[in-house]
Amino acid sequence: MDKTLPTEDLPEIWAEIASAMRTEVSPYTFDRWFKEIELVELTPQHLTLRAPNNIYQFWIESNYIHLLQSAILLVLRSPRTVKFALCEKPHEARSAAVHPEPIEKEKAEEKQEKETETESAGATTTLGMNSRNTFEAFVVGPTNQFAQAACKAVADAPAKTYNPLFIYGGVGLGKTHLMHAIGQHINGKKKGSKIVYITSETFTNEFIDAIQNNTLIKFRKKYRQADVLLIDDIQFLADKGRTQEEFFHTFNALFDGRKQIVLSSDRPPSEIASLETRLVSRFEWGLTAELQVPDTETRVAILRKKAEGMSIKLLPEVFQFLAERIRTNVRRLEGALTRVASYASLNEGRSPNVEKLEQLLKDILHEEARRSITIDQIQRRVAEHYDVRLADMTSKRRPQNIAFPRQIAMYLARELTKTSLSEIGNAFGGRDHGTVLHAHRLVKEKILKDDKTRHAVSLLDSQLSR
Amino acid sequence: MKFSVSKEKLLAGLQTVQNVVSTRTTLPILSNVLLQAENGQLRLTTTDLDVGVSGSVDALIERPGSTTLPARRLATIVRELPAAEIQIDVDSKNVAAIRCGQSFFKILGLPEEEFPPLPKFEDAKTFAISQQALRDALKKTSYAISTDETRYVLNGILFSFKENKLTLVATDGRRLALVDLEVEFPRSQEVELIVPSKCVTELSRILGDAGDIKMSVGENQVAFQAGETLLISKLIEGNYPNYRQVIPGEAKERVALEREQFLNAVHRVSLLSSDKSNSVKLVFTKNNIEIAANTPDVGEAKETLPVAYKGREFSIAFNPEFLMAPLRALSNDEVYLDLIDEMSPGVIKIQSPFLYVLMPMRIS
Repeated sequence: MDKTLPTEDLPEIWAEIASAMRTEVSPYTFDRWFKEIELVELTPQHLTLRAPNNIYQFWIESNYIHLLQSAILLVLRSPRTVKFALCEKPHEARSAAVHPEPIEKEKAEEKQEKETETESAGATTTLGMNSRNTFEAFVVGPTNQFAQAACKAVADAPAKTYNPLFIYGGVGLGKTHLMHAIGQHINGKKKGSKIVYITSETFTNEFIDAIQNNTLIKFRKKYRQADVLLIDDIQFLADKGRTQEEFFHTFNALFDGRKQIVLSSDRPPSEIASLETRLVSRFEWGLTAELQVPDTETRVAILRKKAEGMSIKLLPEVFQFLAERIRTNVRRLEGALTRVASYASLNEGRSPNVEKLEQLLKDILHEEARRSITIDQIQRRVAEHYDVRLADMTSKRRPQNIAFPRQIAMYLARELTKTSLSEIGNAFGGRDHGTVLHAHRLVKEKILKDDKTRHAVSLLDSQLSR
Repeated sequence: MKFSVSKEKLLAGLQTVQNVVSTRTTLPILSNVLLQAENGQLRLTTTDLDVGVSGSVDALIERPGSTTLPARRLATIVRELPAAEIQIDVDSKNVAAIRCGQSFFKILGLPEEEFPPLPKFEDAKTFAISQQALRDALKKTSYAISTDETRYVLNGILFSFKENKLTLVATDGRRLALVDLEVEFPRSQEVELIVPSKCVTELSRILGDAGDIKMSVGENQVAFQAGETLLISKLIEGNYPNYRQVIPGEAKERVALEREQFLNAVHRVSLLSSDKSNSVKLVFTKNNIEIAANTPDVGEAKETLPVAYKGREFSIAFNPEFLMAPLRALSNDEVYLDLIDEMSPGVIKIQSPFLYVLMPMRIS
């Protein structure tokens, strides 16, 4: 592993850093403090400068370290800690300048070995990501292009572009895929970067363990020394006050240390219930990128790519069918494809036709159809079923023969759509969420007791979900 | 042992030595003062193992002997006693009975044998330095001592005896103060040593206005003897940085400033420099300096001083505390500020051999 850069490049790298410094300090300062400096070692974590004696170290550390670090950032594109190696007797060092190379190399090799050791030990703990989730495997379409581009930018230059990066989007749209891709891209590019990928649930569990076993220091060390911290499903931090607080400090430590933070969630930061506002504001600090449901073309592209990966051949209309019928969730799309693929492999590689598909994917399609039910459809259907006017669904009148169907409709709206209580209330003529909740509870009880109601509800349900 | 001594003398003796007394209680004996009575003298000694001080006062010795007593407690008692003769009688169990007028105190001491002896000096290099000059030189340098413990070689003052000169240097990496003193010594005695900050503080305390102090430099310790008072300290081991590297070359501009006026102006303006951007800006124009500071969201301050300045117009910013420290320590009416450019260090000089290098702050 090329942990330490070859020594012959060091003078050139130093020359670049030095010329960046030259523009920042006066010629007097440069000549006095930076002319005699040599770069003797460069690793991903630090660089070592050799100075004639300790006054250089004291003075540079006190006065020029920030300039030096920004010059390093400019040249090496990532921050390093600056160390000094002193040759206390300048005359000796100069006369020995022809010979000291082997010693330095030996030292560098020693260090290299040490670091390789620590890295291989850390390799299993730092990753834990699916190796198939790469940028190459991610199908880009108009709805996820922005998020993908943001992730790519972050992976190319961690902590320089968007920090923190907050990715959000519904289930199965590729949040985790993108996070893994970032982690693996950085890991591939810069060996030895400490990458920590974790779900917020694991974070919580480890935090609780750490409290119980009194190993908070170790816990903090693990997270606060990361170069890149990827936290998946951050919405699970909601309601966990102490974990949020701990995470807040972790976040600050990393952010102040200019480390990259990437977070994912199923909704934007401001909509995560009971997440502390200071966390919300921090999450919104960097870039927030949304992953939306891919359009049909993208879904077809995803299917083709996946099918390629499974090395199966399918009829074009199969792709079209799947892409059109399964709209909301890429994961479900892949599940359907897997099922089709296994069917094909059981039938000597023959691709199923559309009728076969319908039967094969019955349950998935049914689930999928549910998602697209609107309150309006429910209202129509229920009004039709009970033979009341559609207007009665939203009217203020409440005789029993109207009120009950309305309650059934509200129940179905709550069961079959993802709409919130207050939205359902609004759709039913501006009723408040309490009314909807009451209707839901009432119908639910009635289903248990009354066969007629149960029958009606299940009939309506199946009609709507068809 | 038994002796009597006047309150003033005993109190003066205790005050000379009590600052060294360790506040750490790991070794109880270190919070005690060693009292030795013989030949008409009462000798008082304290140490914290790094620095030790010893002084003596005239006393009427009735029964010679020695003991150790809690230094701070003894000093508090003596301070409160009426101005009169104090009689102290210590029995063989180190219990001291203190009588003064109608007051009586009994305090428990520790045996003399437990007290760590001060180191002896053999084949040391000795120097005689004017007390007044040394006191003045310490005052002009000691404020620049670094308190950063990771740079322990900077936690003291460098005493460099070379070519019939004693050079004192203190720096913390952002500023450097230096004084040269004329001292006579043979070439064979040239030596460099780093005297720790605590010893410098004690030394400033014992230095008087007249006469010389005798300085003895041993292997890794130093002793200062002024009259009856002896101060012994360990030295900081290590190499003091090559401070000459820090001193800028020839200055481009020189401004003569009235010290007090300039100090007061900087002080007033610095009231509106913030903790975050702790700087005051000096803007030089023809025959004028404008001193300015501002803190976003708070306000700003400006003050102009007429000066004899004919150089180019430019501005430079300094940390106000670092700028004021030497101005406070100096006593000259006029100081010179030498400058090269905005980003190079400024140097404060006076007519005598002193200089103070101060790093500028970046003007944002």
